[in-house]
Amino acid sequence: MYIKNICLSLKKYKFLLNQLISRDFKVKYKRSVLGVLWSLLYPILTMTVMALVFSNIFKFSTPGVNYLVYLLTGLVMFNYFNEASNLAMSSVVANFSLINKIYIPKYIFPISKCLFVGINFLLTLIPLYIIIFITGTPLNIYHLLLPYAFICLFIFTVGMGLILSAVSVFLRDMFYIYGVVMTLWMYITPIMYDIKMISEELQIFFKLNPLYHYINFARRIILYNEVPTPFTFAVCAITAILTLLIGVIVFKKNQDKFIYYI
Amino acid sequence: MIKVNDVSMRFNLGIEKNFSLKLFFINIFKHKKKETKKDFWALRDINFEVNKGEVVGFVGSNGAGKSTLLKIVAGVMKPTKGTVEKYGNICPMIELGAGFDMDLTARENIYLNGAILGYSKEFINEKFDAIVEFSELKDFLDVPVRNFSSGMVTRLAFSIATIVEPEILIVDEILSVGDIAFQQKSENKMRSMIKGGTTVLFVSHSLDQIESLCDRVIWLENGTIKKIGKPKEICQEYENFMMK
Repeated sequence: MYIKNICLSLKKYKFLLNQLISRDFKVKYKRSVLGVLWSLLYPILTMTVMALVFSNIFKFSTPGVNYLVYLLTGLVMFNYFNEASNLAMSSVVANFSLINKIYIPKYIFPISKCLFVGINFLLTLIPLYIIIFITGTPLNIYHLLLPYAFICLFIFTVGMGLILSAVSVFLRDMFYIYGVVMTLWMYITPIMYDIKMISEELQIFFKLNPLYHYINFARRIILYNEVPTPFTFAVCAITAILTLLIGVIVFKKNQDKFIYYI
Repeated sequence: MIKVNDVSMRFNLGIEKNFSLKLFFINIFKHKKKETKKDFWALRDINFEVNKGEVVGFVGSNGAGKSTLLKIVAGVMKPTKGTVEKYGNICPMIELGAGFDMDLTARENIYLNGAILGYSKEFINEKFDAIVEFSELKDFLDVPVRNFSSGMVTRLAFSIATIVEPEILIVDEILSVGDIAFQQKSENKMRSMIKGGTTVLFVSHSLDQIESLCDRVIWLENGTIKKIGKPKEICQEYENFMMK
């Protein structure tokens, strides 16, 4: 099967993947004084801004749990998706000079971007946990289940990245359209507010959003000290794998045509 | 070794125009479907075989389809029709330095570009010194490639690309790299690779090079094979044709 082939060639191209990711890191921080420290500092600072704005100015709160932790859990995960999917989308177009000259499996570009942002994401967990400690949110054994949500989020993002990078080759307007879509997506994902603030009928639509379930999974554990329901487990895995599958099909069907359009 | 069967390649020159919203609306208001597509056959029914260890040169005027053909053999493009069979690992030297990141240093680029060409980490570690030595850029290893002259960039790229001993080498117009000394060096390198039994597909506008390196020459014109034969005869004929 195609997925098996991907895994095989991922092994073969592991070193290339490695190099592409480390290239991204090097280039990203090349001329900055603080360098890789920004990977930590940047999320801390943006989180602080968000936290200040929403808890002090808008006076948002979530009953029973710490709002700051509530907000940041959602934000960290959503930011991962936002950044990774955006970078993945432009990765094929950006590497056209390479695609045009040497044979490399093209899916390596969106995947390398998702991994690159993924490493950054893991770094942002450090400030998140610092805040969990500071706010006195109790830790529990279920935290060990969190990687499940993160892996689902990653798979979902790779799927979206494959779809977006393929579509944007044919339709450059996608870069603008997606910017608008992401703004909307950010507000319909309960990041700054609780989904219970929305009327019952509307909630159903909000729950069609896979990101809600990944974030909800993490929040159940971090804030409410409980194991997510089996339903949540299932929804996370199904949406992630389904999206990946669609991504693989879309990408595979179109990758040979890329060369004519760039 | 390499078998090219009935390969045809179609490009759609109208694609750019087809996709604009403006034209889309214009066409709506015109109330007729106008075919804006313009098919261009870069290659038509190309057939040839290359044996192991053979050096085949390609000549032809600009736009004859030489580079497209090499890209198809290298696997960069899929032909619209036909198939290419090839046995052995391919080293495509189609455009040197394509995989360079200008912000990285020469040292970092050796690893990055090596990975793009499919080398393993161990292989690059092992050959690192040889690459640096051949490129003669030892003093510039930790300088970002952005600050290199174009000659230096291609020297580095050539050194990385030719460090392997591939079974099939695809060379598109790169032997005019660097200054005279380096040109000589790179030509010698090419000769030693050829002597080592590498199969070479070779595009060049320098007929001297073609004549001295190749066993056989394929003359492409307008996407079809005009003639195949001994380098001397074909080069002579091609020259007469071009000078007319």
